[in-house]
Amino acid sequence: MKSKKYSEALLNLFKKKGFKVKEFENIIESKIIIERSGEIFKKSLLSFEDDNGKNFSLRPDLTISACLDYIKNVKRGIHKYAYFDQAYRRTFGKESLVRNQLGCEIIGSANLQSNIDIINLIDQSLEKVIKYKTTIKINDINIFYSLVDSLKLPSRWRLRLKRHFWRHDYFKELITRLESNSDLQKNVFELDKKSYVKMKKLKQNEKIAGRKINEILNRFEKKIKEPRSNINGARVAQIIGDFLKIKCPFKNAKNELKKFEIKNNINLKLKQFDIFNIKLKNNDTIFSTEIGRSVEYYTGLVFEIYKKSKNLNLASGGRYDNLMQTLGAKSKVAAIGGAINYDNILKL
Amino acid sequence: MSKLIKIGLPSKGRLKDASLKVFKKKNLSIKDVKRNYLSEIKNFSLNEVVFSHAREIVERLADNSLDIGISGYDLLKESLPGIQKNIQVFSRLNFGFADLIVAVPNAWIDVQTIADLEEISFEFKDKNIGKLRVATKYPNLTNDFLLSKGLTQYKIINSLGSTEIYPFTDQSEIITDITSSGATLKANNLRVLKDGNILKSSACILVSKKSLKDKNKKNLVLSLLKKLN
Repeated sequence: MKSKKYSEALLNLFKKKGFKVKEFENIIESKIIIERSGEIFKKSLLSFEDDNGKNFSLRPDLTISACLDYIKNVKRGIHKYAYFDQAYRRTFGKESLVRNQLGCEIIGSANLQSNIDIINLIDQSLEKVIKYKTTIKINDINIFYSLVDSLKLPSRWRLRLKRHFWRHDYFKELITRLESNSDLQKNVFELDKKSYVKMKKLKQNEKIAGRKINEILNRFEKKIKEPRSNINGARVAQIIGDFLKIKCPFKNAKNELKKFEIKNNINLKLKQFDIFNIKLKNNDTIFSTEIGRSVEYYTGLVFEIYKKSKNLNLASGGRYDNLMQTLGAKSKVAAIGGAINYDNILKL
Repeated sequence: MSKLIKIGLPSKGRLKDASLKVFKKKNLSIKDVKRNYLSEIKNFSLNEVVFSHAREIVERLADNSLDIGISGYDLLKESLPGIQKNIQVFSRLNFGFADLIVAVPNAWIDVQTIADLEEISFEFKDKNIGKLRVATKYPNLTNDFLLSKGLTQYKIINSLGSTEIYPFTDQSEIITDITSSGATLKANNLRVLKDGNILKSSACILVSKKSLKDKNKKNLVLSLLKKLN
């Protein structure tokens, strides 16, 4: 009963702000996700094959369902979704296969006001319904990308650090590798140089296992030109580690980042980030560079909302401006959304 | 409840011969009649020996229709978590050694590590030429390994055999496969990545966990395991 009371109250507040409550299709064609996102999503899908060999899955996540609905039915303009329903994911521990998901999304809007609207709506609705004070933690993950761009690193390392920012364990492994300075195998490399000379004489457009010879040789040349040994991996790892420890009241965020820039003699190009212009209704807002590192598709502003006294996570969300295209939209469609941590709310 | 214990042994090839030797060495005599898939250990209490496919032995141990079996560690680790949790590895044996590895064409001279592969996979994605295809007989182990190493943009192509030729017949770009000496890989112009070792495998003695809890079988199972130790 508690569950129904909370969900109805929250959805009503979302509706009052112009969000349309939508029920999504239970089943989606698996290839929509697999072909575009690779095996990482496939792993969590609960899939089955029909008699024609077509593979289908139970919806794994309602943000994805909202995006697919937008692509299929709305197609253009701003659309505000709200939902409370179940998502189904393969589980590898004691987690349930069925997850209750309550959330809201603004699809088709890139402006700062949408960011403010989503955070305020979720935060204020939570305070009203559960009647506890909340703390908001926010971040823009592009500031981390800007840090990586400002560091003296080969381009392949920049890409790696950005791509895996959201995968905590693997990211740690990358940092350790960065510190230890090794990603070329010298003895193999010498042999490959001989192959390089031979391959230079072949037809450059010929393909070997799906790759043109000139593509292989160009990448090989690039690797030689950008050896890892020229950089101070330990120093770079230290800077990244220090950056990820930045946590302060939101009003001090810009100053803290500026101090960090001066200390490490780098330029984060802070002027380009509009996060510092955000004014939220809740004054208890913290800036933390660690926030937003749990979901692959976030592209900018990210937030988490906590019950103030217990530091219990009540909601999280963020901007995902590339997901729509990944899922099949013909052009870029900006979007932001957030989901209530329903299980934690029921614990209150 | 039956007191008969069932032992699963590989039904053909070197694995079968080496498994029979394990028993012989411990003075446990198994009659091996060609084309007959049932036998028994003559000088041991009530038992039945079933010759099966090594992959099937793992599954039958999990559903407890076998009590003890010899199979490959690779096959156990490839099986689903729900199967693995019902099986205990009693001991690793001194045969059937093989590594499950990631291999790429020799001519991909710019690729030495999984991190290189990751970049190539994004090149495939960015050029919209589909996902990097990985042919394998071990999709579960391959997925776990590649995802743990940061490779996410790929597609598994299930292979049932001759996986080494897949990259050269446009069926995949790279492979993961089991290799003992590396000779087949070399003969097929493939090389193993520096950090591409997924699993070190060998034959092993496996026990169904249910049998270890079964009052009627437990003592018999433990007694046979003691003899095999």
